Amino acid sequence: MNKQPTFSNKEQRKIIIRLLIYIKPYKKEVSIALFLLFLTVIGDVLGPYIIKVFLDDHLAINHFELKSILFLAISYLIIQLLNVIFSYFQLVKFQEIALKIIQQLRIDVFKKIHQLGMRYFDDTPAGTIVSRATNDTEAIKELFISVLSSFVQAAFLIIGVYVAMFLLNPMLAIFALVLLPLIFLVIHFYRKHSSVVYMTMREKLSLLNAKLAETLSGMGIVQTFRQEQRFNDEFDEINNEHFISMMDNTKLNSILLRPVIDLIYFTAVVIILFYFGITSFKTAIEVGVIFVFITYISRFFEPINQVMERLALYQQAVVAASRVFKLLDETEIEPKQMDVTDDIQSGLIEFKNVTFSYDGKTDVLKNISFTVNPGETVALVGHTGSGKSSIINLLMRFYEFEQGEILIDGKSIKSYSKNVLRKKIGLVLQDPFLFYGTIKTNIALFNTDLTDKDIQAAAQFVQADEFIEQLPNKYEQKVTERGSTFSSGQKQLIAFARTIATNPKVLVLDEATASIDTETEVAIQQSLEKMRKGRTTIAIAHRLSTIQDADQILVLHLGEIVERGTHQELLAQKGLYHKMYLLQNGIVE
Amino acid sequence: MLAFVAILNLIPPKIIGYVIDEIAFKELTLQSLIKWIVVIAVVAIVMYILRYYWRLMIFGSSNYLAKTLREKLFRHFTKMSPSFYQKHRVGDLMAHATNDVSAVQQTAGSGVLTLFDSITTGGFVIIAMAFTIDWRLTLIALIPMPIMAVTTNCYGKLLHERFHQAQASFSNLNDKTQESISGIKVIKTFGQQEEDIEDFTKLSNDVVDQNMKVARIDSLFDPTISLIIGISFLLSLGFGAKFIYEESMTIGDLVAFNTYLGLLVWPMLAFGMLFNIMERGSASYNRIEQLLSIPVDIDDKDSALDILPEGDIYFHVKEFKFPDGSKAALKNVHFELKRGETLGIAGKTGSGKTAILKLLLREFEGYVGEIKFGDHKIDDYKKLCLREAIGYVPQDHFLFSSSVYTNIAFANPTAAYEDVEYAAKLAYIHEDILRFANGYKTIVGERGVSLSGGQKQRISIARALMMKPELLILDDSLSAVDAKTEEAILKSLKTARANATTIITSHRLSAIEHANLIIVLQEGEVVEKGTHEELMKLKGWYYETYQLQQLENLVEKGGELNE
Repeated sequence: MNKQPTFSNKEQRKIIIRLLIYIKPYKKEVSIALFLLFLTVIGDVLGPYIIKVFLDDHLAINHFELKSILFLAISYLIIQLLNVIFSYFQLVKFQEIALKIIQQLRIDVFKKIHQLGMRYFDDTPAGTIVSRATNDTEAIKELFISVLSSFVQAAFLIIGVYVAMFLLNPMLAIFALVLLPLIFLVIHFYRKHSSVVYMTMREKLSLLNAKLAETLSGMGIVQTFRQEQRFNDEFDEINNEHFISMMDNTKLNSILLRPVIDLIYFTAVVIILFYFGITSFKTAIEVGVIFVFITYISRFFEPINQVMERLALYQQAVVAASRVFKLLDETEIEPKQMDVTDDIQSGLIEFKNVTFSYDGKTDVLKNISFTVNPGETVALVGHTGSGKSSIINLLMRFYEFEQGEILIDGKSIKSYSKNVLRKKIGLVLQDPFLFYGTIKTNIALFNTDLTDKDIQAAAQFVQADEFIEQLPNKYEQKVTERGSTFSSGQKQLIAFARTIATNPKVLVLDEATASIDTETEVAIQQSLEKMRKGRTTIAIAHRLSTIQDADQILVLHLGEIVERGTHQELLAQKGLYHKMYLLQNGIVE
Repeated sequence: MLAFVAILNLIPPKIIGYVIDEIAFKELTLQSLIKWIVVIAVVAIVMYILRYYWRLMIFGSSNYLAKTLREKLFRHFTKMSPSFYQKHRVGDLMAHATNDVSAVQQTAGSGVLTLFDSITTGGFVIIAMAFTIDWRLTLIALIPMPIMAVTTNCYGKLLHERFHQAQASFSNLNDKTQESISGIKVIKTFGQQEEDIEDFTKLSNDVVDQNMKVARIDSLFDPTISLIIGISFLLSLGFGAKFIYEESMTIGDLVAFNTYLGLLVWPMLAFGMLFNIMERGSASYNRIEQLLSIPVDIDDKDSALDILPEGDIYFHVKEFKFPDGSKAALKNVHFELKRGETLGIAGKTGSGKTAILKLLLREFEGYVGEIKFGDHKIDDYKKLCLREAIGYVPQDHFLFSSSVYTNIAFANPTAAYEDVEYAAKLAYIHEDILRFANGYKTIVGERGVSLSGGQKQRISIARALMMKPELLILDDSLSAVDAKTEEAILKSLKTARANATTIITSHRLSAIEHANLIIVLQEGEVVEKGTHEELMKLKGWYYETYQLQQLENLVEKGGELNE
């Protein structure tokens, strides 16, 4: 992650082409913007021409006719004004297109995120995924706004200036054409070298930052082992390497950026003066033409300078784009469902010889089989890593399994549509996740079918309304980030209400382990009991006291069911369950 | 040098003016033409060289400044005590050392460059216009310039505001994404992907809207400037024409004048942008300065002893509070430990076990009482000496991104291979290491192979053993090691470190049951004290916990009673 990838030209081109495809839907806007740009270029070219006419037709020959001079002045002003208006709208339009393209890219990334399977989220830190959707796309925005639009602008202006020069003096224009390959050569040369130098600089910088971050996090160790001096030296070395690469970059920029473009500009001036000087020996030369050429030439170089200065951004954007596309091409997607319209009617759940592994090496579930009859409750107990959560992960279709079968109402779980599964199976997570918003939006989520009454009913059902009613804004009470203002018990109750509002047929509970105050504890227990009534329930129990009335308890150990039965039966067995029970009650034999 | 470039900059327009005049008056000869062209060529080349050097100088020194700042910060960081790291999060410190430094660098580079460039170029151009061509025309041409300054300033303020809003909506989007990813299970469970994408689209629409507001102002800059320059051109042409008509000026002068005017655009623009860069740079610089000015809180005394502490440990602390805590972390904790003995410390999380160790390591001060190591108080020794005598294995086993070898040989990078291997064997990690793909050369740490918690702990132990310390501290550092290995490590420590002192804190009592002295802490106070046998007889917390842990062990193993 810390290493900056380097790209060959071919890869760069591929990435750029893929980005350019995003322009397609905005053909119309782009043509409008280009047309406006075309008009501004005409304005840019016409302005100096009017001055030329003034110089040659009036000033040089002392011909001062007020009417025609006034006409020239007014047309110059009008052209300037129009030019200003057109260029304003053109600039805005280009930015709008860039912003919309980036928005589309962002939405695509976000959509893709939602298609990804849990495996991807296990392997990738959340921060990394977030920066794909936001920071990286932002870097690409710079490409569209600064680089591409200034590139297009430069190209248009160069063409416009050349056309004007050809019309005025074809001979000189041909001379001036010599400049083009020169400029391209400089750009090519710069791009070639800068990408290498720039990449080394970025690489050194990320090494530097990695060293810094690592030392900061391990500072305690560095200090207790008295290695401060060594780390200082090591840091200095990297710091120095980074400094050298920065200097390389500075040197390259100093040789090839603005100074060299200025040099080429003066070459152009020399060519123009020389040409007109020579021709002036034979024929009379209009002074205005010289003026207009020199003005054109100086106009011509401004956008080139801009393009050059922005090439560094181009490199960054390519790197960012490659990361974004890598995410978009990610194949670790969520398990597929067949789109059959079957509904879950009764809620009979069967696991048949299910074996499952997260990494394909070690099996976390081995040959698991059990049946939960409609309306019954099955509790899963076991030590950390025993496989309880994996059973739920499979039932919720967070992960795909290959061996064995999971049946609901006798049909494979894979055959139900996503919608049916989500509607009929309700999950309450161990750590109730609250979103930014209000209590109401947290219960209803985005479900607009739910009325305020439904929401209240759900809250009442799980006994959450008691504390909600006591809040200053009741159901409209703001929930800040992660619901940090609520106790974990209150959060749990809100999560219950959220689940009950969808009225699922099957309930999957991952019981909270966090310490809950006794007051809400009672409410939680009572509402859990109510929720389970009439629903098939699979519950992970951390506290054995909460599942004593379960119809069946499965004791898991290392991915296998080692004991099964009711609470009393298992206690009588005096096996693992019995020991866990003793342990939890703090009873020492 | 900058001034020289600025003056050189003035020559070509002037020459263009002369050439035009000579052409217009038909006075141009081949000789004079070549003369002028050579002058321009020479000026251009000299300017190129000078520009190269002053860019190199300015950007070079800003690079150097960044390097020095980073160095200073790093030095400072290595001197700060743990209480500093409690107050400042690593992420924030990183931000200072990266973003703030680069902001300062930018100000020192581009900022200073544009400042000098715009002042010198702008100044000289105006002077040249006024003195070598016509001061009246200069004044007239400059009339629209203040309007430009006022309007761009106005835009700048608006832009600043809108930019903030755009930033805010962007960070909303960021938060939204973060939340969606953290809550992905909930969203999947409730099948709300579509709706969540819709919500995201709404927020991203807002980002577009806010950015469009920025764009609408941002796009005003260039057109406004070109309009004002255009008016300036028109004014200078009109009045220039008048002056030419009155014969107080030549046509070449006018062309030169207009070329000068063109030179003024860039400095004007740069000046506007400058304030922004300067503002950011100075804010960043202040933050860095602030960080650097935090004093080192635990330092050697002037008369600190330059000898390695050895001998018995006397620990008598009446009261100790962490700098940010209101409650006492330790109250009346007293124990004495003979050289070569082992102390076991037990207790719940937050009971004060680690506080005792932190005081011994002199990571914190400000306690009431006395701690002696050998014949002297621990704060009488030089910090480096004290630390050399203590081998510390922390709870959070932090490994650096380098080879296993360098991680174990951390305190002495040039250690012989045999010594490293010996330490690894003592810590029962040697066999594991040999099983790694590259043996001792395997890269571990954040960017290396992932090790199990137990492996990391054992490497940390080997790292501390490499020092052959007078006092070895194991801060709950066997928690991820299975019971058998734990026993083996403890046994090998006992034989290898027969005459050295050891302190072990542990949740698991099996790790300390062999200790010469065991203390049980509860909310910073010693509640039970004695040997394993004595404590078992007490039938208090130690006894109960010991029994429960035995049971727990059974549950973990799957409950088989017959061993």
